[in-house]
Amino acid sequence: MSRRDIAFIISTLIAAAALAVVPTITTKESVINLLVLVYIYVMMASSWNIIGGIAGQVNLGHAAFFGLGSLVSRILWTKGWPLSISLILGALVPVAFALLIGAPSFKLRGVYFAIGTLAMAQILFITTRNLFPMISSLPTEALSTYSLAPRYYMALGMTLLTVLVVFWLSRSRWGLGMVAVREETSAAESLGVSALQHKLLALCLSALFAGLAGGVFAYYSAGYYLFFPFFPTWTFDAVMATYIGGTGTVIGPIIGAVFYVLVKEILALRFVELHPFIFGTLFILVVLFLPGGMIQIWSRLRRLLVRKSTLAPSAAKEEQVPETNMVHDRPAVE
Amino acid sequence: MPLLKVEGLSKSFGGLQAVSGVSFQVAEGEILGLIGPNGSGKTTVLNLITGFLQPNAGAIWFCDENVVNLPRHQICRRGIARTFQLTKPFLNITALENVLVGRMYGRQPAPSRKAAEEESLALLERVGLGDKAHSLVKDLSLMQRKKVELARALAAKPKLLLLDEIMAGLNPAEVDDAMHLIREIRSWNITLIVVEHIVKAILGLCDRVVVLNMGEKIAEGAPQEIVHDPHVIEVYLGKVYA
Ligand SMILES: Nc1ncnc2c1ncn2[C@@H]1O[C@H](COP(=O)(O)OP(=O)(O)OP(=O)(O)O)[C@@H](O)[C@H]1O
Ligand SMILES: [Mg+2]
Repeated sequence: MSRRDIAFIISTLIAAAALAVVPTITTKESVINLLVLVYIYVMMASSWNIIGGIAGQVNLGHAAFFGLGSLVSRILWTKGWPLSISLILGALVPVAFALLIGAPSFKLRGVYFAIGTLAMAQILFITTRNLFPMISSLPTEALSTYSLAPRYYMALGMTLLTVLVVFWLSRSRWGLGMVAVREETSAAESLGVSALQHKLLALCLSALFAGLAGGVFAYYSAGYYLFFPFFPTWTFDAVMATYIGGTGTVIGPIIGAVFYVLVKEILALRFVELHPFIFGTLFILVVLFLPGGMIQIWSRLRRLLVRKSTLAPSAAKEEQVPETNMVHDRPAVE
Repeated sequence: MPLLKVEGLSKSFGGLQAVSGVSFQVAEGEILGLIGPNGSGKTTVLNLITGFLQPNAGAIWFCDENVVNLPRHQICRRGIARTFQLTKPFLNITALENVLVGRMYGRQPAPSRKAAEEESLALLERVGLGDKAHSLVKDLSLMQRKKVELARALAAKPKLLLLDEIMAGLNPAEVDDAMHLIREIRSWNITLIVVEHIVKAILGLCDRVVVLNMGEKIAEGAPQEIVHDPHVIEVYLGKVYA
């Protein structure tokens, strides 16, 4: 592991530890609720990034994984199953579903995957809306003992897990193969990379963590329509947060998700229904002018600074921009 | 036993017969030249050998195994690597990471990332790109990209390496460097099929030459015989050599 890698892990753990203190210093429910929403968005963006950003396969049905995860977890858990088993199954069912769509659509190259995921997510959305039109509320005795703190820690812990797994993936041989498949599939294959295997693994991991996010949502929410997590908005929010932050990187989706939720909450308070348009515009601007996302601003700045320092007469030795491995803090597309 | 044996290979695109009934062999340790006019089917033959295209007829024996219908990544893992006439680099990652893909997959993946990085860097240095190892490939010139592709293919530790016009666009001094490098690659126990239009390189490098014209093999033999073959001079060399 390089010094940078260790620095990333340590700063992630410090951030998590600092966030873990929050419930002890504030009793404001609005702060806790907002942070839980941020965590769910970080999980959704980071998990979308595995298949969409690192492996480069456009998944337009992420809401299906989130929805299935929440549906399975919620039903099992409210039926009295242990929470842990409900969450694990809530993460595994979306993986099975991902294999079901992924295997056939990856064999056909081209846009079939994007179309397939979009169609399947819409079908699941409509089906669950018809099958489960009711609100799922917690039983009265559970509601009376409802406490935010365990939900908060669950969300924080799962987010940490997601981020660390994506980080590990980005440094692994599998992650390198996924990036190669994204960049030039046939060349990757000519070097011995099985494109199908790498796409499927990326999709399964993506579905796993989106399903886990769904489980967190199911555990966190006191009451909601069971079909609500299947809304296509969940997909588009995850895609936009990822692109705004920086697709294909580890940090980008985290920054994007935090930014997205905060701005969305502010906009929702002030302009009510206008925020989809504002985000849509922002999204297009980012794709057109800053395709590396917000973290590209940072790498551009750094490049400028380094250039300056090499131009300065005092800088005797030529300093190179330190490069990282593939998907850490450098934009995948520029 | 030849390393590679191609038998009656045919490929058509719609009505166009790009390769028809081509047979040849490559012995271990050989450098085989594959030449012919533009559009004569050279790249198509390489695409067929590496699984980028499926033949309409014929067989491709590599180490006594028919590799037709094997997926591309399996063909590479058996020991065939290639470069692309129209380059296909991984643009948004560094040159080193490009080579790393070959080194961590391919026929003999490196045991650790550290070993892979060291070997990949050594390969980049050998092709003359050591100072560009940490540059993104999209910032490199076409010639530099070709070198990345060569290093990347070598990193896959092939037994047989297919080079598709890697010398196109080089000046005479650079051609000499490239020829030197190809001889060195052969000394690493790598057999080569070289597609080139540069006659000097074909004459100086190849043990044998196969000549294609309109998808058919029209001649085969030592380079010196080939350049004096009237038919070859008429359809091909006449334009570039005579
Ligand atoms: N994928 C394809 N689809 C349709 N036609 C093709 C395809 N690939 C090659 N061809 C055609 O097959 C013929 C042989 O092409 P090929 O690229 O193999 O020639 P080549 O000998 O490599 O030529 P060059 O020296 O110009 O690279 C050409 O007429 C070409 O247009
Ligand atoms: Mg060609």
